[in-house]
Amino acid sequence: MTTSLSPTLGRLPALSGSVGVRQRIVERIAPYAYIAPFFVVFGVFGLVPLLFTFYIALFDWNPIGEHTFIGLDNFTRLLHDDRFWNAAGNTLSIWVLSTVPQLLLALLLAHLLNHARLRFAVFFRMSMLVPYITSVAATAIVFAQLFDRDFGLLNWLLGHVGVGPIDFTQSRWGSYVLIAAMVMWRWFGYNTLLYLASLQAIPREVFEAAAVDGASGWQQFRHITVPSLRPIIVFTIVTSTIGGLQIFTEPLLLSRSAPLTCGPVRQCQTLTLFLYEQGFGQFQFGYGAAIGVALFVLVVVLALINYLLSTRIRREQR
Amino acid sequence: MLTISFHPETFGDPEPYGRNTVKFRIATSVVLAATLALAAAACSSNDNASTGDNKSIEFWSFTGINQKAQVDDYKKLHPGIDIKLTEVGSSVETAQALTTALAGGKVPDLVLIQGDDLPKFVQQPQNFVDLRTLGADKVKGDYLDWVISQSIAKDGQILGVPTDVGGMAVAYRTDLFAKAGLPTDRDAVGKLWPTWDAFIEAGKKYVAATGKPFVDNAATSVFYQAVNQGPEKYYDTAGNLVYDQSPQVKTAFDLGLKAVAAGISAKQSSFATGWSAGMGPGQFAVVAAPSWMLNAIRTNAPGTKGKWDIATIPGGAGNWGGSYLAIPKNAKNPKAAWDYIAETQSPKGQLAHFVASGSLPTTPSVYKDAQLTSLKDPFFSDAPTGTIYTDSLLGLKPFYIGPDSSAIGQEFQNAITNVEQGKGDPATAWDTALKNIKAAIGK
Repeated sequence: MTTSLSPTLGRLPALSGSVGVRQRIVERIAPYAYIAPFFVVFGVFGLVPLLFTFYIALFDWNPIGEHTFIGLDNFTRLLHDDRFWNAAGNTLSIWVLSTVPQLLLALLLAHLLNHARLRFAVFFRMSMLVPYITSVAATAIVFAQLFDRDFGLLNWLLGHVGVGPIDFTQSRWGSYVLIAAMVMWRWFGYNTLLYLASLQAIPREVFEAAAVDGASGWQQFRHITVPSLRPIIVFTIVTSTIGGLQIFTEPLLLSRSAPLTCGPVRQCQTLTLFLYEQGFGQFQFGYGAAIGVALFVLVVVLALINYLLSTRIRREQR
Repeated sequence: MLTISFHPETFGDPEPYGRNTVKFRIATSVVLAATLALAAAACSSNDNASTGDNKSIEFWSFTGINQKAQVDDYKKLHPGIDIKLTEVGSSVETAQALTTALAGGKVPDLVLIQGDDLPKFVQQPQNFVDLRTLGADKVKGDYLDWVISQSIAKDGQILGVPTDVGGMAVAYRTDLFAKAGLPTDRDAVGKLWPTWDAFIEAGKKYVAATGKPFVDNAATSVFYQAVNQGPEKYYDTAGNLVYDQSPQVKTAFDLGLKAVAAGISAKQSSFATGWSAGMGPGQFAVVAAPSWMLNAIRTNAPGTKGKWDIATIPGGAGNWGGSYLAIPKNAKNPKAAWDYIAETQSPKGQLAHFVASGSLPTTPSVYKDAQLTSLKDPFFSDAPTGTIYTDSLLGLKPFYIGPDSSAIGQEFQNAITNVEQGKGDPATAWDTALKNIKAAIGK
């Protein structure tokens, strides 16, 4: 079957004056109508909830009961709440633990995958993405079993080298490592492919010329790969920062007995999880909103630092 | 095969802003605007409460409680009634979805609420239909008073009808008890631990004989059970917070710490990965088990059939779990929903559901019924589950459950678990728990 798409836009007679005016107005308006869907959707699902969050944060807000205006009390309470600082510390620690090794690993893997003489390159590149398309819940279940105290594979291996069973979910650093491992496993392939894509934009001759001049693999990596990847490295740092500050599902699924606090002493409760616990576990929407505002401020600060760093890197490149 | 062919010559319009193009643009803008207006309207449309036909019921339940069987039976008996059952998620997720719906969305006609989530809704009774207006005050006496009293608001409004309770007993491994030289017969085991102190002593004997932990954990299997066995928990009868001075709470907390110090705990939090995995290999020999827990044991350790038995819990009485059916205020078909509650949750309906699924009835009039007393569970050495669990309910005294009860209980359990894991100091655990509770509930 052949469908022919040929709109019959015939020749038109010359336009009269009034039509011309109307036409010009329409021309002015039309572009706004075209971009309107994004802004309307962003407004409905982004901006309005954001502003509403700021508003709710000023109230003692029970979703199915009374709303009492209390000014900045939620924020005063937040600044004196150990649980908030605990969650902030957890979030930043997990973010550093998961991002730094992950991006280094991705960089190294991308460099290896870009090697001219690598066999089955497509297979290796594609398999990198498998963790990325696996559901977080499935990842969490498998990792919980691998890291289990009594029946986990990892502790079984550790037992062979004489290291006693570690209860990862119960200790602070143990749970950080476990969550960071889950995040790394899920995202390293994605970042590797990003690096690989921009690596492939570098002419192969540059590497060949370096090799001819006697540069070792490490020297090529240090002096060609890393400098030419600077913009994409900045990009991946920005995206992993945003993602890292919002880690939620992994800690939520870690502790079955106290999921909302990620363990009995909130040892791995992140900011988003704390927000969820207060808002949807305790139904304290006002306090939950205040946590959301604090998280917003934190993201803005880190984004500013990122921006300053990246403009500086760009200036250095010139 | 579908081929789409473009004719490039018709696209190269010599007049880039020809009339048809303009018309096309106007049309696009209009369509866009209309779509957006529609979308906005869909978001803000208010459901009118009085549009029901009293023939269809929108029913929100949670997973793992098998309401489907009862719904199907009801539909068979009442072919004119259509029930749309949605299993929203876990019990907590269902309560969260209900909260969102009540705050400004489309509410179901009928919703199942788990006991722990109920107090938050009872505090805001204006969101629900007063079931007295539909006839609940006439059947109120059918239910255990301490169970239905949890769904009655301060002004007397009845929010929900109890569908089931957990009851409480102890499931133990007869094979492991025999190896440790402990009695294996369920009556003898019950006599072995009339009190929690005796329970801990029995545990010490077991650990000495086998070198293995006795009970799965101290927070859930000791503290949580003991704290429910008295007339006053975290609130007094007037609804004032007394968790920091209630002797019942302090005693239960100390029992939890004592169990930890005695070294009888396997330190496995209930429902954790290691807890499920440890059940089969016998990493612990004893689990505090409400009636619905039996199914968890069956699924986690299928190879241990016949090696378990059930004995009375230390202290004799207890309950863990239970749910309620409620009708939100803006339900479209409250009358049809009530008819469903009245029929399926009558003593007869609950008994039938117990025989079919094992959910314990909340209606004491059927506790002596032969259908209930004759039920034996082969997985648990033919233990008469019906009598064991209903007996544990009759000894319970009602206590006031407030909006922060579950948050308070969670913090106490967390403090005990923290000591159990070797991270917390038992000497300061109580003060830590009180401090955390103050931070959690803000008072």
